[in-house]
Amino acid sequence: MTALVGIIANPASGKDIRRLVAHGSVFSNNEKINIITRVLRGLDALGIRHVLAMPDSFGLAVRAYENAGVSLRMTLLDMAVTNTSQDSTQAARMMVNAGVKCIVTLGGDGTNRAVAKGCGSVPLVPVSTGTNNVFPKMVEGTLAGFAAAVVSLEVEGVRESAIRPVPRLEILREGKLTDIALVDTVVYDERFVASRAIWDTSKICTVILPRVRTGTIGASSIAGNLPEAHLHNEHGAWLEVALGGDAIYSVLAPIAPGLMASVPIQSVRWLSMGEEGTVACSPAILALDGEREVPIVSGEKIRVRLSQEGPNVVDIGAALRAASQAGLFVSIN
Amino acid sequence: MGLSKETLLNLYDTMVKIRTFEERVGEMYYEGKLPAFDIAAGPIPGEMHLYSGQEAVATGVCANLQPDDPVTSTHRAHGHLIAKGEDLKKMMAEIFGKETGLSHGKGGHMHLFDPNLHFGCGGIVGGGIPQAVGAALAIKKRGEDRVAVSFFGDGAANIGAFHESLNLASIWRLPVVFVVEDNLYAISVPKSASTAVRSNAERGAAYGIPAVQVDGQDVLAVYEAAKEAIDRARRGEGPSLIEAVCYRFRGHFEGDPELYLAKGEKDKWKERDPINILGSQLKAQGLLTDAEAEAIQAKMTDLVAEAEAFARESPYPAPEEALEHLFA
Amino acid sequence: MAGERLLTTQKAIAEAIAQEMERDDRVFVMGEDIGAYGGIFGATDGLLAKFGPERIMDTPISEMGFIGAAVGAATEGMRPIAELMFVDFFGAAMDQIYNHMAKIHYMSGGRVKVPMVLMTAIGGSYSDAAQHSQSLYALFAHTPGIKIVIPSSPYDAKGLMIQAIRDDSPVMYFFHKGVLGLGWMTPNPRATGVVPEEPYTIPFGQADVKREGSDLTILTVALMVHRSLDAAEQLAEEGINAEVIDLRTLVPLDRETIVNSVKKTHRVVVVDEDYKSFGMSGELAAIVAEDALDYLDAPPKRLAVPDVPIPYSRPLEQYVIPTVDRIVAAARELVSG
Repeated sequence: MTALVGIIANPASGKDIRRLVAHGSVFSNNEKINIITRVLRGLDALGIRHVLAMPDSFGLAVRAYENAGVSLRMTLLDMAVTNTSQDSTQAARMMVNAGVKCIVTLGGDGTNRAVAKGCGSVPLVPVSTGTNNVFPKMVEGTLAGFAAAVVSLEVEGVRESAIRPVPRLEILREGKLTDIALVDTVVYDERFVASRAIWDTSKICTVILPRVRTGTIGASSIAGNLPEAHLHNEHGAWLEVALGGDAIYSVLAPIAPGLMASVPIQSVRWLSMGEEGTVACSPAILALDGEREVPIVSGEKIRVRLSQEGPNVVDIGAALRAASQAGLFVSIN
Repeated sequence: MGLSKETLLNLYDTMVKIRTFEERVGEMYYEGKLPAFDIAAGPIPGEMHLYSGQEAVATGVCANLQPDDPVTSTHRAHGHLIAKGEDLKKMMAEIFGKETGLSHGKGGHMHLFDPNLHFGCGGIVGGGIPQAVGAALAIKKRGEDRVAVSFFGDGAANIGAFHESLNLASIWRLPVVFVVEDNLYAISVPKSASTAVRSNAERGAAYGIPAVQVDGQDVLAVYEAAKEAIDRARRGEGPSLIEAVCYRFRGHFEGDPELYLAKGEKDKWKERDPINILGSQLKAQGLLTDAEAEAIQAKMTDLVAEAEAFARESPYPAPEEALEHLFA
Repeated sequence: MAGERLLTTQKAIAEAIAQEMERDDRVFVMGEDIGAYGGIFGATDGLLAKFGPERIMDTPISEMGFIGAAVGAATEGMRPIAELMFVDFFGAAMDQIYNHMAKIHYMSGGRVKVPMVLMTAIGGSYSDAAQHSQSLYALFAHTPGIKIVIPSSPYDAKGLMIQAIRDDSPVMYFFHKGVLGLGWMTPNPRATGVVPEEPYTIPFGQADVKREGSDLTILTVALMVHRSLDAAEQLAEEGINAEVIDLRTLVPLDRETIVNSVKKTHRVVVVDEDYKSFGMSGELAAIVAEDALDYLDAPPKRLAVPDVPIPYSRPLEQYVIPTVDRIVAAARELVSG
C-alpha cells in the first residue's frame, strides 16, 4: 500500500495587522513555494510516491510541484476554494478520508487550528509560516519532508517515539462543542472581530491555555513566564487578569513579535485534563490561538474545557532519529 | 479599538451614503443612452466607474482622517470623496457637468478635486501614488502631523510609479499610507494572471514598509488597520501599506459585459456585502435596530435626491468658459 | 454592389491583425484587456479564441514594461503589436517609445530594425474628459523615427494595418474611437464600409482625396475627415465646393497631394482634433507657405483644440473640439474673405 502524504499550505498566513501594531514579519508566498518545494524533495528522496495537496487561489502547491522536479505524483484535492480558514479544515477532512498517513502544514497557529478541526488522529508536521508561532516550528522544509515520509512509511519505532498527542481547549456554548484552540484562548474586551489579531494587553480579561510552556510568544507566554510554570508541564492554566488594582503580581510577556507588556495577574488556576470553567466577562470576544473569533454577547455563558482530543504532532528530531536507527538513510554498496 | 456607538453608526451611515449615491448615479447614467447605448448621450455622459461593493475601504480609512489630510484617488473615486466628507450636491453637479460642480464641469466623474478637503484623483492608473508621496514630503518638510493617503487598485501595483513611490516613501520615511484596493481584477485581467505575488503586502515588505492584508469587506477590520497605519505616520514612524481585499459589485465600468467572471462569483461576493456585514454586527450587539437602519437609508436617499435635484437644476457652464483656468 | 462585404472599422482592424498572424508567425499582440475582453475598443476581438494566449497576451497595467518588451522582441526579429489602451496613457511608457522605439534603428546606423506596431485609441466628443480624450498624434510625429498612421475608414484601417505590420520600422497606428463603429459610441454611418476579404495593403505617404472641390482644401485626419465631409455637403448647398483630403499618414506625409490641391483651390483650412499650437495644423500651414504661398488667396486657417485640455462638460467639450458647424463657418469665412 502506498504511503500517502497531505500538504496544506495557507496562502493568507503571515500578513495580518501585527505587521503594523508589532513587528511581525511578512511571509511571502513565493517563500512558501520554496518551502513546499523542499518538502516535496524530502518526501521524494525517501520514497513517497503520492502527495495530496490543498488547492488555493495562488497555486502554492502547483507552483512548488513545477519547481521541484520530483518523480512523485501530486494530486490537488477536488474542492471549492473559499479563501477562508474553512479551506484548511475541509482539506484536512478530505485527506483523512483519502487515507493520508501524515499532513504537512504551512501556516501559523491559526492555520493549524483550522487543520486540527478536520485531521482526526492523522499526525501533523507543522511548519511555521505565520506570525505568533507556538504550535508550528521554524524548521527546514527538507527535514519536514523527511519526517513526514518517515511517519507515513511507518518506519519501525517512529509511532512510539515521534508522535505526540497534544491537548486542546474546547469552547462550549450551552454544553455544545462549537470551537477549539490549540495554543490559547483569550477573553478580549472588544465587541468585534475586525482585524482579528490581539495585541492590546489592557483588553485581555482572561487567558486560558491547554498546556503551559515557557518560551512561547503571544498570550500563552503570560502563563509560561510565571515562576511556577515549570511545575505544571502537564497542566493547562486559567489566568484572570487584574483589571482593577488587585494584582498579585505582573508578568512581562511578549504579546506579539517585538511587542512586550507587563500583565497584572489577579489569579492563576492550573487545569487538569477534563477541567472546565465559565468565561466571566461579557460582552467580549473570544480570541482563539491569537485571532478574535467568537463574539460573546452580554450575559451569554461560555464554558471552556481542557481536553486531550487535540491533534497528533510529529516530533521531527525524534522521527529522524528513528529513521536513522532503522537504517533508512543507508544503502549497502 | 473600543469604538463608540456614534463612531460605529457613522461608519454605517457613510457606507450607506456611498452606496445610495452610486446606485442612483448608476440608474441615471442610462438615462438618454438607451435603447441603443450611446456613451456620449444623456445627463451623465462618458465612462462611469462606480464604487458599490468597496464602501468599507474608503469608509474605514477616511474615518481616521482629518479634512486637511491629503488623499489621492483613482478613476473610481466617488466613495473616497464622499467618505472624506464632500458635499454631495457639488459632486453630483460635477458629474452632471454643471457650472455648480466642484470643477465647474471641467473635471467630471474621473477628475474630482477639492482643495478644501485636500483631495485629488484622476483617470491614469497609478498616477496618484507619487503625488501622495509628494504631499507627504510637503508635510514632513513643514513638520506637520498630517498624513497623506493614496488609494489605488491592485492593477496599479504593477506600474512603475507604485514601485518608485514605495521606495521613495521608505527612504525618506514619509507620513503616507498606501491603500491597495485589491478587487481581484484590472478591468478584465485577473490578479492571478497579472501579479507575481499573491498579496501586495509582500511588495510593501520588500521596500521596508510595514504592510498588512485585511478583509476589505469588513469596515472594522479596515478601520483598525488604517488607524494604526495613520497613527504611525502621524507619529513620524514612516509609511505603511494596507491591502484591502474587496470586490466590484458593478464591474469595471457601467456597460462592462463581465464575460471574464466565473459563474456565480459575484453572487458569492454579494453575500459579503460590507453594509450587511457591519449592519448585522451592530444588530447583534444591540447597537442598531431594523427601524434605525431603515431611517438611515431614508435619510441617505433624501440626501442623494437633493443632490440630484441640485445637479439637474443647475446651469451648464457657458461654452467659452472652456478657455478659462489654463494658468494660475 | 453584390458580393461586397460591409465591415466596421473595428472589425476591419481585427481582421487585418488576424490575417497577418496567420501569414506570419512572428506576429503577436500584447496589451491590457486584449484577450478575453477583445480589447476595450475591439481591435483584437475574437483573436484570443483563434490564436490562444501565447500570441494574444493580456498584460498587467505595465505600459513601460510591455511596450519596452515589444521593442526588445522586435529587435530580436519578432513583429509585435502592442496596444496602448488610450493614447493618453502614453506617459508611463514614453521613454521606451520616444528614446528607444523611435531611435534604435538610427542609433545603430541602420543595422538594428524595430518592426513593431504600437496601436492606440484617440479622440473625444463623448465626455471622457482631459485624460481619456486626447489625440496627440502630433506629439509622436514630432520625434523622428516613428511612422504615424491614422485611418478614418474601414477600408483604410485594414490596408494600413497590414502595411504597418509588414513595415520594418516602428509604426504608431491611431484609431479614433468615433470611427470604429462600436455599438456603444455615438452612431456613425461612415464607420461602416466595404472591405475586401483578402489581405491588401495601402502604401504609407499617400493621402486620399475624399471629395474633390475647387473653392478650398480641407486637410484633416480621423473623425475630422467625417465631420469635414459632412461640412462639405452643407457647403455644397451654399455653392462652395470643398476638397476634403484625408492625410491617412502624417509620417510619411504626402506633401505633393497637399500642395497640388492648394495650388488648385487657393485656400486651405486644416481641421485637427489635436492641440493647436506646435502641432499638425501649424506644420501643414507651414508646408503650404513653403511650397504654395504664391497660390494662396487667403492665409491658411486652422481649426484645432484651442490649447486647453479637453473639458468634461458637453457644452465645453463641443466648444473646443471642431464641429461640423464650425468647419462650415471657417470655410465660409475663408471663401468670402
